[in-house]
Amino acid sequence: MADQNKTDTDLKFYNEVLSPSQLFAARSRSHKIPVRGQKDFFPDDSDEQRQRLEQSLNEHWSLISEERVEKLGNLVKATWIPSEKIVELQSPAGKFWQTMGFSAGGKQFLFPEEALYLMECGNVQVFYQELPLSIQDGYEKFLSSSTVRLQEYQVFGHLKRLGYLVHRFHPSSETSSYAKQLNLPQSRDRAGKQLKRKRSASPTATSSHTEAQEESTADRMEEDTCGQEGQEDKKRPESHLTISPETSSTQTTTASPGNKGGVRTWWMEDDVGERSDHQPASAASRWDFSSISFPDLGSSRERLSSCLVSPDPSLLPGALAVGVCDVDPWRTRINLRDVKMSSKEQMREEEKRRHRLDKDIEVRRCSNWAEYRQLMERRQGRRSKGRATHLWDGEVTPLHDPRQPIPTGELLDKISVIKSTHLLEGASRLQASDEWRISFNVYQPDTVADFKKSNPGKPYTRMCVCSFDGPVPDLRAIKQLAFQSGDVLVVFAVVDCGDISFYTFKDFELPTDVFP
Amino acid sequence: MTDHKASVPAQTEGMEQDPPQVVGVSDSAPPQVVGVSRCDSAPLLWRDQDLRAVRVRGLVGALLGALPRTPRQNGRLGRPLLLLPEEERLLTELHATANANQGGGGVQLSLQVKQHLEEQERNLEEQRVLALQDRKSALLHAMTSHTGSLGPSEALRGRLEALHRSFTFPRGAMAVQLSTARAGLHHCHEDRAFLRAQQPITVQHDFLRAQQPITAQHDSKAAARYQVFRDLRGRGFYLTSAGKFGGDFLVYPGDPLRFHAHFIAVVLSLDSSLSPLDVLAIARLGSNVKKTVLLCSPGGFQYPGGAGGVQYTSLQWSGMV
Repeated sequence: MADQNKTDTDLKFYNEVLSPSQLFAARSRSHKIPVRGQKDFFPDDSDEQRQRLEQSLNEHWSLISEERVEKLGNLVKATWIPSEKIVELQSPAGKFWQTMGFSAGGKQFLFPEEALYLMECGNVQVFYQELPLSIQDGYEKFLSSSTVRLQEYQVFGHLKRLGYLVHRFHPSSETSSYAKQLNLPQSRDRAGKQLKRKRSASPTATSSHTEAQEESTADRMEEDTCGQEGQEDKKRPESHLTISPETSSTQTTTASPGNKGGVRTWWMEDDVGERSDHQPASAASRWDFSSISFPDLGSSRERLSSCLVSPDPSLLPGALAVGVCDVDPWRTRINLRDVKMSSKEQMREEEKRRHRLDKDIEVRRCSNWAEYRQLMERRQGRRSKGRATHLWDGEVTPLHDPRQPIPTGELLDKISVIKSTHLLEGASRLQASDEWRISFNVYQPDTVADFKKSNPGKPYTRMCVCSFDGPVPDLRAIKQLAFQSGDVLVVFAVVDCGDISFYTFKDFELPTDVFP
Repeated sequence: MTDHKASVPAQTEGMEQDPPQVVGVSDSAPPQVVGVSRCDSAPLLWRDQDLRAVRVRGLVGALLGALPRTPRQNGRLGRPLLLLPEEERLLTELHATANANQGGGGVQLSLQVKQHLEEQERNLEEQRVLALQDRKSALLHAMTSHTGSLGPSEALRGRLEALHRSFTFPRGAMAVQLSTARAGLHHCHEDRAFLRAQQPITVQHDFLRAQQPITAQHDSKAAARYQVFRDLRGRGFYLTSAGKFGGDFLVYPGDPLRFHAHFIAVVLSLDSSLSPLDVLAIARLGSNVKKTVLLCSPGGFQYPGGAGGVQYTSLQWSGMV
């Protein structure tokens, strides 16, 4: 039984494999960690100290060497897919599903950092090529510069162990504050963007209208302004969209009648929840306004050419061809008349003017135009009386005329030399850098109860992971990250070989002493 | 504002002229080789005995993982142990490291899967037996303690037999191990054999270029740090990283488990200039955390053997003398 001997010695040397009896006995293990006592100041080679050191070390080793033992029924089985860098669950997810993971194509998935964290907690057992992975395997396979770095995982784990909800940050899925102001519905496929999902087959269309609905709103607008000439079946913009519910009967993806072919419209009021999972992931959440032109036909400046060029055929569905649009007939239809006041209003305006002059006694005293002109000049002069001419007549004048009433706060602003600035000033024109990027969104622990993965809401902070070995973020980096983050604070998690320190930069305004 | 002035007398501590000695390993025990696995280019130790071996040499490292017993807290962490670049370099120079990243190949995959499944079945059977024994003894204990003495053995035997017949141990109730280290897995025989090798494979690793951008400035900084680390370790101090204290190393007189750090070591080259503001800042920081700041400059003097020594300058607040 040479083999048996070998395995015995192996087991003795590498005693990390637990025998079945050890595994069975592990059920009654304690779940408490011993409290660490007071430290000594200086080593003095006393027996006491040596004893205490030995005790501390033994305690330390027993905790460190303990292996994770879980009942098979409590473990969720999963497999690692290296090509996609995600973990697919094979058995139903447990309580962690509320806040972690995502589903795609009917299956449940976890990100590698989430899977590794759950492995460390003893909730999930990940297999690769039908063999279970050790925690070491997990670290080596799941953490890399293309997925999540070791330092980022350290921060991730630290925050999760404290109870925070930590998700990956995607700059593209963050809506700008302008989009929020317009109340544009947001694309919520945060996970879907990671996977290369196959687009669902577009439904067969009965008419060109239904096909046209798959396009973005901008193209629809373009089509509306051009191409309408001489086409009887194309109606005005409003009705163009209202007829769509009837023709969308062939489509299978829509749910509510307000949902026009599954594409966002400017007028959609109802919640994002109506949209099904079949939406093509490429529906843009950021519109490039520089390439969408809205010709101003009402402009009185004759700068516009008399016709608009036809749109790019790649934007149009199918074999639709749109010719050049002649705008002159449109222009004639635009009402460029002045505001027509009713006769009553006109009379009222006249009266007001006359009233002012009539009531003026001094003007009445003038008997001719020359006197009136003199009066006007005098009045001008009076207004400028008291002004030191040497101050006001030159090129450089004082910032403020002391005879003008002004509140103190405004006056201080007016005469200030250094203008205060805020973090986001000038940040929009900064280019994103490779060196500094936001890694995670962090949500507070008390939001777990009503947390929805589909609509997580505004995060508590965002994390940028760096290390003490690297450079301190300069103003440029801070501005760029603040801009990316929007109105959420960015926290720098600085990793130092096991310890993590958190720093943040906030806007601060110097208080001004102003008495009203 | 307190009225004692901050004078910073330079106390050079380069008194001992002995060469730095190799510490930790006694001559009787063979030098232990530890398996270093790289994760995202960071050196990690996974096996329990590797961590112990490294501690014996006076190297502390930093634990990164969740503690198996209580995974949802940050007070005490578990394996893996992250080594400082200086620690890794020291080990390599002592020929004590071996690459533990998966070598690949070895036993065929299908064979491994077969072995794993067999092991699982054996595990299940043994645990079933143990569970039944456990239930029986519990029943026995309950029955005898209830009656006070050995009661009617007929009834007892009957109950035991009924238990034996009706006992089920579903697969889900089986306890399995989630191994921390890969060598702790049944099917990783080649990993174990590999690490047992007496001849360690010295990793051809250029530490100075491990993770950071290649700059001459950085290289010299890393080299200086290593010299200081080696010198202090040679004097018997335990060192950990001190980024959050504004320094390079925290210096402990003994094992960090039992002693507080006495110094914050800041590595500076002898010809670098330090502005008074920086000196004040670091001195203030040291006094706030009740540690002495140690400015360390390698190359201050030469040991008799020709090895370069390190010049130490400590900063301490003092009153009017």
